[in-house]
Amino acid sequence: MKMTLTHFEATLILAVFISAVLAVVTKKTDEERFRYGMRSLGWFFVTVFGLAWLMYLGHR
Amino acid sequence: MSEKLTAPLPPLPPVRQWLPPLVIAWLVPGGGHFYLKRYYRGAILGGCTAVLFILGLLMRGYLFEPMTGDLLTTIIYVGGAIADRATGLLYLLAKIFGYNAPDVAGHSIDYGTKFLVIAGLFNILAMVDAFEIAAGRKD
Repeated sequence: MKMTLTHFEATLILAVFISAVLAVVTKKTDEERFRYGMRSLGWFFVTVFGLAWLMYLGHR
Repeated sequence: MSEKLTAPLPPLPPVRQWLPPLVIAWLVPGGGHFYLKRYYRGAILGGCTAVLFILGLLMRGYLFEPMTGDLLTTIIYVGGAIADRATGLLYLLAKIFGYNAPDVAGHSIDYGTKFLVIAGLFNILAMVDAFEIAAGRKD
């Protein structure tokens, strides 16, 4: 059995897990963890979509 | 004038207080936190590490073997080997059951390799966290 993910799926999975782990180990309260995790995930999305558009426009 | 005021770290407690959770945290991802009765943290850290490691295996990621050569090769292969081994029993079980994916090019395999390395880095973070809790440096 071999799993194949697209670039977007793999990046999304990494973003979710990295945000969750960093939120748990760096923040003290559940509220802080939730806010940090959501903010981190949001920045991952912004960066991924930004870089994707840059690469797309750079190769036209 | 740029002196930073930082509270001094408390003295390190006896080894028997922090070594067992540290070793358990290495062997079983999240186990150190369960040993210290931090079940919620342990479940998230252990779950993220295990799921990422299993996804890496399913994507046929490469488990690094230490190799030296030029600087970049040494950093990548030795660093990767250390991170892979940091997953403890997950790594040992994969090796015992004969997992031996080749180091070949391909986007899925590349992502799998990164997933395996990041799972190890997660567990290193979990080990540091467990150590700090056991040593009384963190709540």
